[in-house]
This record gives sequence, C-alpha cells and structure tokens, in this order.
Amino acid sequence: MNLERVSNEEKLGLCRKYYLGGFAFLPFLWLVNVVWFFRDAFVKPAYTEQLQIKTYVKRSGLGLAVWVAVLTTWITIYQHYRSQWGEVADYLSFTIPLGIP
Amino acid sequence: MDFISTKWIIHLLLCCLFHGVGCNSVEQKIYVKLNDTVPCVRLLNATHQIGCQSSLAGDVGVIHILESEGNLEWVLSTGPSPPYMVILESTLFTRDIMMKLKNGSSRIAGVAVVKPSTNPIEDFSPHTTCPNENTGVYSESYGPTMAHCNTTVWNPKGNGLSYEEFNFPIFSLKDDNGTEFIRQCYLKHNLVVNGSAPGYPLCAMQLSSHMHAVRDTVTCMRRSDTSPFSLNPEVVCDPLGSFNVWGSTKSLNNTAKGHKENETVVIAAARLDSRAFFHGISLGAESGASGFITLLAAAGALANVTRQDHPPRTILYTFFQGETFDYIGSSRMVYDMEKDNFAIDLDNIHSLLEIGQVGLHNISGLWLHSDPVSRRNDSIDQEVKRLIDYFQSVATNLTISLGQPDVSQPLPPASFQRFLRAQSIPGVVLTDHKSHFTNRFLESMYDNAEYLNLTYPPDLSPEEQFNFDTDTARGLTEVATMVARTLYKQAGGADEQLASINADLQTVNHLLYGFLKQTNNSWFRAIVPPEHQRFLGPAPPEYYVGVTFNNTFSNLVRYVLANLTGTAVNISKENCTDQSKFTDDTESTDMYDYMWVSGVTPPNGTEPVPYCVRSTVRLARAQSPAFELQDYHSSNYSTWSESRWKYIGARIFLVAGNDLEMLTLGMGVAVLVTSLLLTYVINSKADFLFSSGREPANATY
Repeated sequence: MNLERVSNEEKLGLCRKYYLGGFAFLPFLWLVNVVWFFRDAFVKPAYTEQLQIKTYVKRSGLGLAVWVAVLTTWITIYQHYRSQWGEVADYLSFTIPLGIP
Repeated sequence: MDFISTKWIIHLLLCCLFHGVGCNSVEQKIYVKLNDTVPCVRLLNATHQIGCQSSLAGDVGVIHILESEGNLEWVLSTGPSPPYMVILESTLFTRDIMMKLKNGSSRIAGVAVVKPSTNPIEDFSPHTTCPNENTGVYSESYGPTMAHCNTTVWNPKGNGLSYEEFNFPIFSLKDDNGTEFIRQCYLKHNLVVNGSAPGYPLCAMQLSSHMHAVRDTVTCMRRSDTSPFSLNPEVVCDPLGSFNVWGSTKSLNNTAKGHKENETVVIAAARLDSRAFFHGISLGAESGASGFITLLAAAGALANVTRQDHPPRTILYTFFQGETFDYIGSSRMVYDMEKDNFAIDLDNIHSLLEIGQVGLHNISGLWLHSDPVSRRNDSIDQEVKRLIDYFQSVATNLTISLGQPDVSQPLPPASFQRFLRAQSIPGVVLTDHKSHFTNRFLESMYDNAEYLNLTYPPDLSPEEQFNFDTDTARGLTEVATMVARTLYKQAGGADEQLASINADLQTVNHLLYGFLKQTNNSWFRAIVPPEHQRFLGPAPPEYYVGVTFNNTFSNLVRYVLANLTGTAVNISKENCTDQSKFTDDTESTDMYDYMWVSGVTPPNGTEPVPYCVRSTVRLARAQSPAFELQDYHSSNYSTWSESRWKYIGARIFLVAGNDLEMLTLGMGVAVLVTSLLLTYVINSKADFLFSSGREPANATY
C-alpha cells in the first residue's frame, strides 16, 4: 500500500489499528507503526489528524522500547546462564543446540 | 503436448545431471577424502563425558607430522600457522604427549594417529589401572580394604587415555596409501627446513566428528525425551548395550520365568566385549576373545556327553556383553534373576566358574581366583575348595600349570563380582595372571591376533589358514578340555566319562580364525541363517559393545554356540521358523530355540542345503538396569551411553595464506560495492540515460 495515496482519515484509522494491535503481545506492529507513520507524525506540515497520529506513534515507540529492553535483558540472561541452569533451562528451551552444554 | 513436456523433462534432467557432475569434479579437485579412518567418539556416564568432539563444521588445521616429542614445541608455541593438525606415529601416542596437546588445544585442530601394521615393543593400555572400579563387588561395605584396587592394581600399565575428554577430533588412520599421500603432501608443502616456516599454500586436513550429546548421561537422556510433550524430540544419545548369549546343557523353560523347583545350575561365564581408544578397531583377542573362545570350545566338548549322560546339575553357559563398561551384561542378568525375569533365579545357582583372560597361559600359567570375603563363610569356602580341587585333579592329567594366588587377594575384575553383589555364591575365576594382568595391551588396538601369536604362513589361502593348526589353538584346546572336564565334575558327572571329554583342536582353530581374522569363512557361512550372511566379512566382528540396536556380534556367538551344542532336526523351513508349530511340551519353543541356518554345499551340489537347528541357546537383553529404571544417576549400575552424530569424515586439501584469503574477500566486497554504486547512479540518471521519449512507468500500488 502506498501511504501517499491514502487520505489522512484513513491514515489515522490505520495508525490506531496498529497501535491497538500491538497490545496483543505483537511489538512488531508497533515497530511497523513507528517506521511507517514517522514522517506523517513528525515531518509533514501540520494537518488535523496529525496530533493523534503523533500520540499513537509516540506510544508505539515507547511500547517498542519497553519490549526491546525486556527481551534483550531476558535473552542475555538466558543465553548466559542456560548451561548452568541445567534441567530447568532444558524445559524452558524450544530448541537445544547439539553438542554444547 | 506430451512429447514436448517429455523433452523438457529430459532437458531439465540433463541439466541437473551436468550440474551435479560439475560440482563433484570441483570438490574432487580441491579435497582428497580419506577412507579407512576410525574416529574417537564421545561416551557419557552419570557424571562425565569422555572421548572426542569436533566443531559442527569439522576442524581444519595445517598438517604437522610429529617426529619426536621435542618436535612438539613447533606445534604448541613456535609454528607460525596455527591451528595444527598433528599426525602422530603410534609410538608417540602416549598419555604424556596427548595431555600436552590437550592443554595447548587452542593451537591444536585435531590429531590423527597412524595405526601400525605390527605391535609395538612397549606396553600400551589406554584403559584405567583399576577397571570397573566402582561397580564391582568390593566397596566400603564389602571388603573395604580391597575396594578401589587397594590390594592389587590389576592394570598397572593403564594410562587412562580412553577415559579422558578431548575437545578436538582424534582419528586413527590405517598405514596405507592414504597415509602415504598425507606424507607426500606434508613433505612437498609443509616441511620445516632449518627452522624456517614454509610458505603458502600449505597442506591441511579437516576432521569432522561433531557429537550431539554433552555433559553426562543424565543430561543427554533428558534431552533425548521423545514424548509427545517434548518441545525438542531429538535423540542425542543411546544407552550402551547389546545382548547376552546363554545356553544350557538341559533345556530350561524360558517362558516360565523365575525360580525353578529341583533345578541346580552351574554357571560357566565369559565376557564377549572389549574396547580400544578407537572403538572401531577394538579386538580384545586376549582380554575378551581368549575367554569366550575357550568356553565355546568347552561347550562343544561337553555337547555329546551331556546328551548321553546328563549330570545331576545343569550347566548354564553365559556370554556377557558390555562388561567393559561397568558390567552391563552381568548386572542385567542378575537384575533379571532378582526380578524373576530370567529362566532361573539366583537361588537356582549352585556355583559359578568364569573364564577370564587365558590366552597368554603359556607365559604365566593359569590361576584360580576366588573371593576372600565370601569364603569367610565355611560352607562357601568348602564349595570353593572342592571346585579348586576338581580343577587341580583335572589339570594333573593335562599339561597345564595351575595355581592359586594368595587367599587374601580379591577377585580380578570379573562378571562374577556382580553375582557376589547380589548373593554369596561359590565360584572361581580362571585367568592367566597371578596378580596384575599379564596382558600388556589391555583394551587397546594392539590386543589382537598377533598378540596371541596367532599367525599363519603367508603362502596359505584363506581356506588353508582357516584349517591351519596354530600353537595358540593347541594351548587353548588344552584349557578348554580342562574347563569342560571340571564343569562336568562340578555338575556332578561321573568320573569315568572325564577321559572322553576333549575339546576339538579343529574347532578352536576355526573359532580363532573366525573371531580374530575374518568372519567370512566356510564354517560361519554354514551356521548362520541366510539373512545374516551379509554380516560376514573379511574382518573380525566389532568387539565394542555399541548401542542397543547393534547385535551382530552377539548373534554370531549365538549361532556358533547353537551349532556346537544343538542338534539338527529334520523338519521343513516353515515348521522351523513358525514358533507355534511345536505343541508337544518337550519340544515346544518354550524349551528350545529353532533356527533355520544356511548349511553346507554338498560335494556334488552347487547350492548349500539349509537345515533346522534345535538348541537351548538364547539371547537375553544386555542393557544396563539403570536405563530400565530411568535412574541415570545410578552408582550401582552402568550408566554409559554413546552420543549420536550426523557425519564423521576426514579429508585433506591445500589452504592458501591469510593474505591471499583477505585479498580475495576484499576484491569480492569491492566488486559488490562498485556494482551497487553503479546501479544507483544508473537508476537515478535513468531518465537521462534511457530517454527514448517514452513516458516513465507509472508508480504502481
């Protein structure tokens, strides 16, 4: 879809859908929202819906940042301590690498 | 239409074919694959992992042939192009050098050991000094002074190399054309002249033996959980184990398990398996084969006399598998007897006679070992003394020197120890060593036919070698005769029969040739079922116990024992192979095993004539009870398991220097960047460059 050919109202609707969808543990929707609507929210000259789009994009960005922080922390801890945790880690793991502890 | 499509398919196929051929030829130009290599693989027990491991893609290193120990410095510190792939002559394959390589392992990509065609002069045993130290009978609660080989170190020459863990691959190479090719490659490209490093390209080798299991059996069995709830259902290791072979002089009902009323049994036991640092080339001629060949010959000698004049007690022949790895076979049989899961139970056992290593009896004589702890009980002591007396009275009529070690000396490592753990049973172990092992090559690749002096004149054909009388066979025939007579006496047989019990020299010749030279011989071909012919080859069977589904060797022993003790019955193939045909109680498959074997080719025929053999010989599972109980931490039972792997291989090729590699990479990147830039420029100036007056294409959705 080419965002240039969509009316501002439709853009707002779309932005809101992506923002709300992100709450269903789908941080990638927020990522898409931020990337996709960044220009409309912050770069383009002002228009009526811009304020709301700006809010959605900011919140999506915030949510994304939280997700990134949480996941990075967990993955670091998991990768670092997996071999020490032994049995617990094996049950937590979906795929266990072959040949290393 | 059809024609056209067919044509296309043919074209496509040709393309694929051509493509495949093209790929192969490039690979062949770069790599030389080494055949006849034997890897060291990873084994695990309740607490440790041992063996070797390469990285997932295989480890590559510049070949360096080690000439002497002083040469190690080049590999470990001064050489300019690490990592190195060290090629060791077998004389340098010592604990000292291997540990130095292990500790410098960041500069070591792997090790290849050249297996010599003749045995070394020095002693070499990669096994521990106290085999099966923790799973025998002696412990803090049973003869504490004898635990952990405190009284006698059985294998003082053992350097424990087989129980080390190496984080690089180690392969064994046969000394042949492949090894010669490596030498040529090394001399041409890698040779260090006057201490100056040779220039690139250098000859390199890649060894791949990536192991899936890691840490210990507890971990790998947990990860091998293939239940539907498992997130990751991939088996990474398998328990070691195979099948025990057993047979009896009188048929025992094998369907009704547990205690048999009015049945007393004399067990005659021997061990089947052995190991080496490289599992694929373990032969155990002295450590395993000498014992079980003697027992097979003794069983053959007793076949006729027990059929005509059966002694009051039954003789039960047992051949245990996996004894090298903490008594897998015997611990399982004892466990089955305790759980009423075997044809007899422990209370049926009258006594036990085990044949250990006997192949070198001409060097050090034969010795009868017994357990000093159980002999503190008077009745047991009486029985043991009587058994030893029987042995000695029989031996005086033969040219065998037979002695008794000091009474306070404990039993050597033997399956009998597992029976003693469960119950006090009178018994002796017959071996060729008074205290420590006579065997200089215990559980190594040199414990082979040559070590037993089993050599044949070179000008003989395989069939003539097969029938050739060797001194080794003569010696073992004597021992087998002694064992057979003693067994008959111990089973309560009449003294008048003893003189007629004689092991057959020709049988021992055939057994030695079949089990230590090649399984493909006329006797084995005749006694195995037609569908098992493909397992007979120009080499001995593999003596390493392996993982549970591998039972070729156990089956072979079963066929031999069935042939030596069973009888040919005149029934059709259908009746022989169909288990339900025997309704008569005395002939039913509860009592006997029926086997359809290939048979011999009659003098005037072209095809072998198969026939049916009836015997009491059976297989019994030899898998450690620890796996049955899922108690992988077990300290009572063997917990050894073998890792799985996907690919094992070795190849050599020439590697270019770092500079050349970097130059190639840099060129590639430069070409990529240039082409990207060019595309961008062309794209942005497209209107100007391709202005043909046409409208620029519309942007699309």
